[in-house]
Amino acid sequence: MPKKIVKGQELSQPARASARVLKRLYVREIPDEEKPAEALKWLDYYRKDRRSLVMAMESCVKCGVCANECHAYLGTKDPNNIPAGRADLMRKVYKRYFTVQGRLFGNLVGAEDITMDTLEKWFSYYYQCTECRRCGHVCPFGIDTCEVTMAGREILWGIGMIPDLQGAASAAVYERGNQGNMTKQALIETHDFLSDEIEEERGFRMEFPVDKPNSDILYVPSSADYLLNPETLKGACQFFEYVGANWTISSHMTEAGNFGLLTEQHSVQRELVERLWRTVAELGIKKIVFGECGHGWRAWKMYTPTLTDYAIAGSGYDYHNRVPIVHIHDEVAAYVKMGKLKLNPRDNRLAPVGKSITLHDPCNYCRACNLIQNLRVNLYASVPEVREMTPNGEKNFCCGGGSAVLYDDPEMYELRGKFSLKKVEQIKATGADILCAPCSICKAQFYGVLKEYHHLDIPIQGLIDFVGAALVFKGHRQI
Amino acid sequence: MELFVGKILPYITVALLLGGITWRIWRWMIGRIVHNITLSPFPSSWGAAVAWILWQIVSFWNIFKFDKPLWVGAWTMHVALASIFGGHVLGIATLGNQFHLLLPWIVTEAQSEAASNALGTTFGLIFLVALLYLLYRRFAVEKVRVISAPSDYLHLLLLILIVGVGDYMRVFHAVAVEYEAARDFMLGLILFHPGPMPVIHETGLINWYFFVHFLAVQIMLIIFPFSKLMHPFGILWNRWIYNRPYPEPPMGLPGVKLKL
Ligand code: SF4
Ligand code: SF4
Ligand code: SF4
Repeated sequence: MPKKIVKGQELSQPARASARVLKRLYVREIPDEEKPAEALKWLDYYRKDRRSLVMAMESCVKCGVCANECHAYLGTKDPNNIPAGRADLMRKVYKRYFTVQGRLFGNLVGAEDITMDTLEKWFSYYYQCTECRRCGHVCPFGIDTCEVTMAGREILWGIGMIPDLQGAASAAVYERGNQGNMTKQALIETHDFLSDEIEEERGFRMEFPVDKPNSDILYVPSSADYLLNPETLKGACQFFEYVGANWTISSHMTEAGNFGLLTEQHSVQRELVERLWRTVAELGIKKIVFGECGHGWRAWKMYTPTLTDYAIAGSGYDYHNRVPIVHIHDEVAAYVKMGKLKLNPRDNRLAPVGKSITLHDPCNYCRACNLIQNLRVNLYASVPEVREMTPNGEKNFCCGGGSAVLYDDPEMYELRGKFSLKKVEQIKATGADILCAPCSICKAQFYGVLKEYHHLDIPIQGLIDFVGAALVFKGHRQI
Repeated sequence: MELFVGKILPYITVALLLGGITWRIWRWMIGRIVHNITLSPFPSSWGAAVAWILWQIVSFWNIFKFDKPLWVGAWTMHVALASIFGGHVLGIATLGNQFHLLLPWIVTEAQSEAASNALGTTFGLIFLVALLYLLYRRFAVEKVRVISAPSDYLHLLLLILIVGVGDYMRVFHAVAVEYEAARDFMLGLILFHPGPMPVIHETGLINWYFFVHFLAVQIMLIIFPFSKLMHPFGILWNRWIYNRPYPEPPMGLPGVKLKL
């Protein structure tokens, strides 16, 4: 994508989705001259719909606390990447049209008319935010700029300005129920291959059931695991086999990631939620276990209950209590805490004795989903040595690829590198030999930038990978 | 002029202040809290959530943790503001007797008035210094300057004007306003019988320092509900969205052979 120049300033933007992709998303692109007015209508809609957006627009005092806490600003020193500056791109317009002070005093209070330039800036900077919520964690008022980014992206979606990456992945969700556009055949082939691998390593075979009727547990992996993280799939399979679960993977809904949360909550996220519940009804599922994905898990855990405002066969009212949605690491941790899993951290194929592991806390696990402790329970039980990063837990820094800003266009790739400067500094400071990143976006970001951009050659693994490899089986199963 | 600022404007100010606050909060409440988007680690109960919000408010905890130089200015400024606000209300209502009324067997009336004066002057000066520091910071620290609008400076300048004139009246006794004069004037306004503004004793002419102080305060109260000055309410309404408990589903897998 050639750089856009707006008022003498160069803007980096991701490549846009083509007309063909928009069609697959059922989105109509609005002609440029009508875009500002249409965007304003959407803004009016969202401000009346979401209190989080109104409060973010109306409560900032410009204290600047958030600035040095956002990895995007730390890496680029671009004022529009200061969380308050990023929100201001929308706030200026909001003030101009929806507040008394903005209508009366305009520029004096920082209000501005909406133009095509404004929207070009939105398209650049709302796709430079990784929705990591660190700003929400540090802001004295708790203003979460992630909410502004989400609304910004949704408004842009409404007028047909969608990055190709997000667009194509969302279209694949509509068509196949996963972002990678994988067919059932492809799933089964990968499973066979992984079963062979497990057989070689363990001396006995484990299968990955697909679409098995009357299963108790639905395991939803991230589709990226099929392409990039086979050990993560193997780890989950070994855990389920170890506890003797009646489990299955669905070919209709093979996506723990959630591009709806990252682009459009009304359509794409809803599509995923509907697919999930149809699968649950069809296969007679009693509990849904999600695999490793940071933003995805936030979407499933925190948004699914409120997005399921319709009847579901077999679950119905109070659905999410009857068919609970849980994360694999919460379940594993419950077993570890009760001492039910026999794990040998000193005999781990992926983390040999003498190697130290550092944990990258995926932002959405620790600032949106309460997973900080349980990740550690599982990690410490499975590997020989852990070296913590500082800061970590709810204060961690993002990997720089969050919300799938995993663009390969040269300028955006350059930004991905800069966004991860802080993280790389942290990783290097630990001196660890292996990086554990239990989120498929984090993994994709690290595979993409660590070696090439930062010249840091370090193996990257998920967390369930280590758990699976550390499990001690007695014969075929534990029991 | 005196008639308008001293007898008419105060009623308009109060109406705009209260009406404005109500209107602004009503506007905030139109939008729903659509999903539970609480920040983790989750508070364990509503009690814990409210305690956390209150703790944030009294200690400015996040500023303390993430930006100590700002905390020094901001926390001090707000503490001075709160003390002075309390001092104005109590000192004027009790004619400086507030400490005597609070602890009659320890503090005499004369001591109470002396304490009231000393505290008022001290906090007044601290307030001014803190405001000047915050203004300097807004100019000097790049990350803050680049996100500031003209109004951010103007708000500080308005407060500096109010506090500066107030401190001047405190420090230079010739232009000071006695507690009685201030009380009579305020009481007149409250009882809808507005009296004349306080005068300077020596000359018997209107005290223009008081006039400016009183007018600037009213301007501040009028813009309060329509600007970022609303942030003491904003923090409550915003944190109500982000600091709330979340009921976790029970652990344990159904139908497995290895039970929890
Ligand atoms: S920390 Fe919060 S209030 Fe301060 S500038 Fe950032 S968003 Fe605004
Ligand atoms: S969500 Fe993260 S990337 Fe986005 S503005 Fe906040 S701190 Fe920066
Ligand atoms: S990709 Fe991972 S680390 Fe980065 S924002 Fe998402 S969850 Fe956080």
